[in-house]
Amino acid sequence: MLPNEKTKSSLKLRNILKYVRPIFGILVAVYIIWRLYLVFIVQNLYGPETWTRLLISGLIIGGVYSLIAIGYTLVYGILLMINFAHGEVMMTGAFAGYFVFEAAKSINVPSAVGNPDLVFANAYPVLSILIAFIAGMAVSAAIGYFLEKIAYRPLRKAPRLIPLISAIGASIFLQNAALLLFSPQTRNYTNPEILSRGNGWKILINGSKVTLPYTGVFTFILSILLMVGLLFLVKKTRLGKAMRAVAMDKDTAALMGIDVNQTISNTFIISGALAGAAGVMWGLHNGMFHYFVGFIPGIKAFTAAVLGGIGNIPGAMLGGMLLGLVESMGPTALDISYQLKDVISFVILIVILIFRPSGILGEVLAEEKI
Amino acid sequence: MKKHYLLSFVILFAVVLASCAPAAAPAEEAPAAEEAVVEEAVVEEEEVEAPVCVEVVCEDADVAAVSAADVDAACAADAYGCAVIDAGQTVKIGMSSPMTGGYADFGIDAENSGLIAVKDACGHAGFSFELMAEDDEGGAEGGAAVANKLAADPTVVGMAGPLFSGATAAGIPIYDAAGIPMLSPSATNPPLTAMGSAVFNRVPFTDDAQGAAAADYMFNTLGFTKIAVLHDGETYGKGLATIVKSEFEASGGEVVVFEGITVGEADYTPILTTISASAPEAIYFGGYSAEGAVLSNQMKSLGLEDAVFFGCDGTFGADYLSLTGENGEGSYHATPKEPPATDTKANFDVCYESAYGVGPVVLSPFSYNSYDCTTALITAAKDASMLGEDGKLYILRGAMVDAIRGLTDYTGISGTYSCNDIGECNVEGPQFWVLTGGEFVKAD
Repeated sequence: MLPNEKTKSSLKLRNILKYVRPIFGILVAVYIIWRLYLVFIVQNLYGPETWTRLLISGLIIGGVYSLIAIGYTLVYGILLMINFAHGEVMMTGAFAGYFVFEAAKSINVPSAVGNPDLVFANAYPVLSILIAFIAGMAVSAAIGYFLEKIAYRPLRKAPRLIPLISAIGASIFLQNAALLLFSPQTRNYTNPEILSRGNGWKILINGSKVTLPYTGVFTFILSILLMVGLLFLVKKTRLGKAMRAVAMDKDTAALMGIDVNQTISNTFIISGALAGAAGVMWGLHNGMFHYFVGFIPGIKAFTAAVLGGIGNIPGAMLGGMLLGLVESMGPTALDISYQLKDVISFVILIVILIFRPSGILGEVLAEEKI
Repeated sequence: MKKHYLLSFVILFAVVLASCAPAAAPAEEAPAAEEAVVEEAVVEEEEVEAPVCVEVVCEDADVAAVSAADVDAACAADAYGCAVIDAGQTVKIGMSSPMTGGYADFGIDAENSGLIAVKDACGHAGFSFELMAEDDEGGAEGGAAVANKLAADPTVVGMAGPLFSGATAAGIPIYDAAGIPMLSPSATNPPLTAMGSAVFNRVPFTDDAQGAAAADYMFNTLGFTKIAVLHDGETYGKGLATIVKSEFEASGGEVVVFEGITVGEADYTPILTTISASAPEAIYFGGYSAEGAVLSNQMKSLGLEDAVFFGCDGTFGADYLSLTGENGEGSYHATPKEPPATDTKANFDVCYESAYGVGPVVLSPFSYNSYDCTTALITAAKDASMLGEDGKLYILRGAMVDAIRGLTDYTGISGTYSCNDIGECNVEGPQFWVLTGGEFVKAD
């Protein structure tokens, strides 16, 4: 806060704002409750099978958002900057996974006499999925590592807006590099048969078959596993301890013998690997992707990270899940046009930030950290 | 595999070259005829069953130069003035279409057809024509940007497009001011011709016709009484969906859901889930193949297995086919009516296939229309041109605008059409196609 802003008139304005914001928040909350009442009690159009389907699709997309959101939060926690190129890191992961599956599709594996030859992807499905994830995570981790080395490290001592601009530049660079390298066409993931899109376990709810898609269940479980792994890494390992120390205070951490540069590089590698996994999951579940695929999920995941409290890892996970559920169920639950689903998400973000400015699980930050 | 294709393509190309060259050479040596006679080189092939692309042999007729005073007078009298083409420059026909992104197939197809048209049309008075295909990404912003770029180029005399209605609506005022006649092969949104523009004309059927035909087809031929209608919220898709909804309701059917989706997303399961709660027999979609393919794919696991996906002329094409695979089976799409079987059409088919490796009307439904539009514009430009004594070519923009608006019984590949006083030169249509066994089959 600059001293000259503490004039009388600005104080008055702050007093007015103090009342306006909660009133706005309460109005929106009342509107939302009224719409929910209309849809659930008065109209009651949709049976449990519809809500189950919406829940499933919300959890799946929420898992992907969470993984990407963790990347934003990790980097923010350590460098206090928003890595706007993070969505593009995910896009490179999606491309790497795609090429692995294409290769696995084109290799023929001779099988027992009498049976037709299988392609590698179907003969060794687990192995090819594993390779695809390793490739996606490795490529994205490498991109994340070099991104930090090239675009952010030289600007570490610069004012905080400068690396932000650099991040936006890196994002545009990565998009256009993918555009030139891989052409702008929309591509389609070829899944191994055991994970074929659209197939899944069928459960009967209210006389209607609800599909639990294999890709969706796989995506959700894997994202939960990766998140648990990350929490373990941050809480229990030496690397995690170093990361937390650097996040708390870089100079003191350096005095304690922690290699700050290496820790920051490691953070970018970890967040890149998670984004790469999210990219491969995106491809496996949704199928279609192109050079621009990272942009919208990137923005959404950033929103999720802010929603959960930026800098807080469980907060990013919670925010991602919440955003996925709101996007999926919001328009139906509030009976609002589907074209406005992003409006709903962002209004909910605003309402939450009015009542909890640091996010749902966010700590109240000290002045010098903001 | 790819190497084999390449090799066979090279061999085919070599055969075509070898057979064309000796036949074409004497024609070039022949003395210039008094009129611009278009001679067709007769090609003898050892393998008779494989037709070969017959290229038009161009001969430049002598055009009498007009005195500077006459040129000045004519240009001054013209409503939009003259386009002046310096010696050595080319006369440019513009094209505004999506060449990148999810709708790129439409733009690539239009450019391919336009390039063949330019080749077939030959030059005039020593000037040659050039197709300037610009990428508008299918949207209004891109449409306006391309329009401004082309309007600023004094050698652009015509616009064979834009392809998409959104880009067209944004471009019309700019082309209007510049006096560039437009002849769109595919902008079907009805209000476009009602904007009062003197320069805009279009070849395809309008969405009024398509919407009514689709509603009628679903209600009477397929016997659906309960459908859901989706659109992409853009000029074309929303307009078409609105017409289908009102026509379907007028004929006695029920539209249970009418909703817009956000373009460019990869997950439409929430809206499809909501639709499945009211169990419609079909989902009509007004929009393009990028979103249509996602909808078709995700319908299958959400309790809409038995619902039919009914698309439009924006969802027809190889892109939809490759992105949906088995999930697209049984879906309906629309194109203009198949053109009459003429020699010109047969030759165009062969030329297109040999040049690009796929046939026309594979990438998008508008290959023939794009060829016709480009050819009509070039013909009009030739008719409206004067060769000045200074060696420059003067093209009367106003005369060209009038010529396109006044097209009467113009015979193109798509058929014979005439433009009315607001610029509707609609060919017949639409023709519906159903996706069966991995290819589009005509639906009766």
